Amino acid sequence: MLGVMVDVSDAETTSTANATFRELSTLQSFAKKLLESGTVKMVIGYSQGYTSDRAMPAFITDPEKASSLIFDKRCFHNLTMYLKTAEIKCAGKIAIVVKGCDAKALNVLLLENQIKRENLVILGLVCIGVGDPTLEKCRICNVNTPPIYDELFGKPVPNKEWTSATFTRVKELEGKSQKELWEFWVNEFNRCIKCYACREVCPICTCTRCITDKNQPQWVPTSPHSMGNFHWNLTRAFHLAGRCIGCDECERSCPADIPLSLVNWKLIKQVFEKYGFIAGMSPDDLPPMSTYVEGEEEEFIK
Amino acid sequence: MARIGVFICHCGENIARTVDVVSVTEVARTWPGVVYAEDYRFCCSDPGQSIIRDAIKEHNLTGLVISACSPKMHEKTFRNLAKASGMNPYLCECSNIREQCSWVHHDKEVGTEKAIDLVRMMVEKVRMNHPLEPIEAPVTKRVLVVGAGIAGIQASLDLAEAGLEVVLVERNPSIGGHMAQLSETFPTLDCSMCILSPKMSAVKEHPDIKLLTYSEVEKVEGFIGNYTVSIRKKPRYVIEDLCVGCNECVTHCVFKKPKFPDEFNEGLGKRKPVYIPFPQATPQGAFIDPETCLQLTTGKCKQTCVTACPKDCIDFEMVEEIEEVEVGAIILATGFGTYKPELLPQYGYGKLDNVYTSLQMERMLSSSGPTEGEILLKDGTAPKTVGIIHCAGSRDENANIWCSKVCCMYSLKLAHLIQEFSEAQVFNFYIDIRAAGKGYEEFYLKVIEENVMVLRGRPALIEYEEQGNNGKGNLLVHTEDTISGTKLVVPVDMVVLSLGFEPDKDAVQLAKTFNISRSPEGFFMERHVKLAPVATTTDGVYIVGGCQGPKDIPETVAQASAAAASVLGILSKDKLIREPTVARVNELNCIGCFQCEKVCPYSAIEHKEIRDHDGNLIREVALVNDSLCHGCGPCAAICPSKCIDVDGITEEQIYSQLAVL
Amino acid sequence: MAEFKPKAIAFICNWCTYTGADLAGTSRMEYPADFRIIKVPCTGRIDAEFIIKGFEQGADGIWISGCHIGDCHYQSGNYFAQRRWSIFHDELEFLGIDTRRLKYTWISASEGRKFADEATEFVERLKELGPYEDFDQIIPKIEESGASVGGDG
Repeated sequence: MLGVMVDVSDAETTSTANATFRELSTLQSFAKKLLESGTVKMVIGYSQGYTSDRAMPAFITDPEKASSLIFDKRCFHNLTMYLKTAEIKCAGKIAIVVKGCDAKALNVLLLENQIKRENLVILGLVCIGVGDPTLEKCRICNVNTPPIYDELFGKPVPNKEWTSATFTRVKELEGKSQKELWEFWVNEFNRCIKCYACREVCPICTCTRCITDKNQPQWVPTSPHSMGNFHWNLTRAFHLAGRCIGCDECERSCPADIPLSLVNWKLIKQVFEKYGFIAGMSPDDLPPMSTYVEGEEEEFIK
Repeated sequence: MARIGVFICHCGENIARTVDVVSVTEVARTWPGVVYAEDYRFCCSDPGQSIIRDAIKEHNLTGLVISACSPKMHEKTFRNLAKASGMNPYLCECSNIREQCSWVHHDKEVGTEKAIDLVRMMVEKVRMNHPLEPIEAPVTKRVLVVGAGIAGIQASLDLAEAGLEVVLVERNPSIGGHMAQLSETFPTLDCSMCILSPKMSAVKEHPDIKLLTYSEVEKVEGFIGNYTVSIRKKPRYVIEDLCVGCNECVTHCVFKKPKFPDEFNEGLGKRKPVYIPFPQATPQGAFIDPETCLQLTTGKCKQTCVTACPKDCIDFEMVEEIEEVEVGAIILATGFGTYKPELLPQYGYGKLDNVYTSLQMERMLSSSGPTEGEILLKDGTAPKTVGIIHCAGSRDENANIWCSKVCCMYSLKLAHLIQEFSEAQVFNFYIDIRAAGKGYEEFYLKVIEENVMVLRGRPALIEYEEQGNNGKGNLLVHTEDTISGTKLVVPVDMVVLSLGFEPDKDAVQLAKTFNISRSPEGFFMERHVKLAPVATTTDGVYIVGGCQGPKDIPETVAQASAAAASVLGILSKDKLIREPTVARVNELNCIGCFQCEKVCPYSAIEHKEIRDHDGNLIREVALVNDSLCHGCGPCAAICPSKCIDVDGITEEQIYSQLAVL
Repeated sequence: MAEFKPKAIAFICNWCTYTGADLAGTSRMEYPADFRIIKVPCTGRIDAEFIIKGFEQGADGIWISGCHIGDCHYQSGNYFAQRRWSIFHDELEFLGIDTRRLKYTWISASEGRKFADEATEFVERLKELGPYEDFDQIIPKIEESGASVGGDG
């Protein structure tokens, strides 16, 4: 609260973004129409942040404010996380601006009955990457064109296919010995302060009562000691198996800089390599943890 | 505050030999919440039970741990005791210090230490138990019997006579099974068909038995008292209800002569594509084999059968049908297979002439068989000598290791019949004669007196005697006489291989369909080898006859009636009591992601709508349908916020067991 | 020095492996006593929490066993279990857990011999690996942190 508050209207919206999104005005006028016609009660999108280098979420209900929507490299947030909040859940029909990766989360939420399709207008953006420098998740993005949308803004580009080469970061770590990995993760998790920002920001951590908040029995020790931290991060990983869409918001929001995305991308990699499954590509595909193929047998089980 | 009673059973010396039961009891007394601990020689005995009963009442127990044998053995006993003593039965648990402790460890110190842990874990579990009330489920008073050999026939008749509806499914075109193929039966030598065919007609005629032949069970869903079974009825191409078995179609088939190996006669005779499987076939109608019928394989046939039929029974348009039936219990009487003689190359079956299987010999001896009861060599002459080789494919490390139980007796019976109906001298080559059974040893002695030669030793090789045309001639049986310790070569004209029992070729699939286990050798597995020999681990599913293991006719019939009695016991009630160990949902915290629904094998998870006072939908939560839930728990494992849990094995109960380790 | 006695936990299903273990008992097959069985209805019931908690309780190894694929008493519980373990096993390995301390088997009700053999193999393996010290290091010591294991808050 010590810094100088920057007047939003004065901020140079494009100063930190490399390029302005060409379809921005189309998006703004579409959003305006949605609000004017009463089709939706609210549009969730990005707007200029309090400092020039930041964008922030906008919850627009006034059609005239639709022109404040922006989209550029600063818009790395996954806005779908707001769909799990009670306020948005009771807001009626809304529109939401999504990049491809965010749209994956919508598919998971639809699959898991957390949002109603009829209450949602999905404003999909063709996105070729956000962040400066471009984020890792964008480097390996397979959904430049969102897998689900009602209205698409931007010219669709063909989506890249994943291969096992996609997971280079995970693979680097996989090469380490068990002891090295143990040391590595204990050191990383040791910094955890159990603030649960990872959980709060995660669009698919939808439980209203997290397992950590359950104390009969208390599976996850709540104290931020090494064991409690390790347990929490293991538990969170397991709950995301076949569900995590790889938006990396947990890592971005972690105040302790724990490389949480590595934990998740390992899951994403295994699920992809073993079952050819990518979470969030469709609202109908059953995740591999919820289905099986008759007759399949794992060799590691004797 | 918990008031837990702990009882440590000595099981005579079974437990006490390796577990210091007194120390375990003493240690148990020190645990918090344990208000009473005692050891006793036999907890399951009457005096043992009365000590427990008194303790429950006197100490006002809220939990009971019986440390004794496996819960599979006496959990019910002790839960019933708890109930009778005024305690909710689900507050009683058994810790297994016999099968999983004293019987597998020899060191008393080790055994005692482990027993203390096992008892402690169960005390901690019981601390978390809460009273459960049994769930009532409706009962469908109808029974499915699968397989219509003597086992299935007997069970169906018993059940129908007791007033239950029966659906009897047989995969072959006629009922009768293996027994219908037999000539005469040991030891009394009644004609097999003479005692079977009245039962076959009784099945057909009984108003409460619905007979579905040439049909197979496709799918089974549900649980005891409430199974839904899909049955695939394959087309016979002859309308069963119209056909009177006049044989006109068979006579007028475009195949003037029978051309295809006759399955019922074990390939000894030939049949046409349209045929009546055997004279007493039930239903007594013709049947068209889709594999060999010209019309059905090529679509090009003059269809002379259709024109010949006086009642328009033949319908080539007939298609497969799926029939769904609701039943309360299931009896599997799916029979057995016999060892494949080709796997015994040393005996030359299929390569040497005049080597037959025992079932082929049964057919040959049958007056309605391919030779009308005459024993004939391939060239049409009568054999002068016949060798019968016992244990072909049985009691053999290179084949099946088990004894098939009936081969000794049927081999002796065949020897008797062959000597009675022909001039031939019979040699029986045996390893041991196993003639245990009422009148069996006497039968053996009688056959010996009839001058049947018995030679103790397993033949090593059968070959042609090198003389006569093309090297063919008599067969030589190379064997040894282990009594005199000499090698022998016995020349015979004909050889009969007494093949052992094997699991039916469809046993693997059947076990899957009916969700039952198989024993190591592949027969269906009973719930308890001694005390529940016809039940399976799936409630409401019973196994009888050859599908459970090798056995003779009297034993099969006894099993069939035993299973029928068990089924009657279940279906005589109007409501079934189901174990209340089912999943339940914490509706307050459930977010309705329905991951549980996706992993539920029984579709027991339903959607419940939570609405406000004005009727507006607030949210959906999971709801467990008690009558479908089996309490297996994948739902609980996948629920991220642990809002679904399984009574009887709650996460608290698991946690508390872990926490004391 | 006294021989290392491993501390291990086995989560086994009620229908197949538990019955198999009973059969090993009725057949008087001897095996080491260094693990404790927790019976669950089905392998599908086994939650990753059980495993993590097991290690936190100081287990040197954890064994999970159920019905063979296709033989599940509950039709498909072990299929789900299999997939879960497959992914979890890889994840645990990635996070530095010594996965040699995890054992997975399918043991049917008739495989008493297999149960005894696998039990022996399991304990032998743990003896060879020695005490699992990694987890010990992160378990909070009451005198140091004031926190108790498990249900703190």
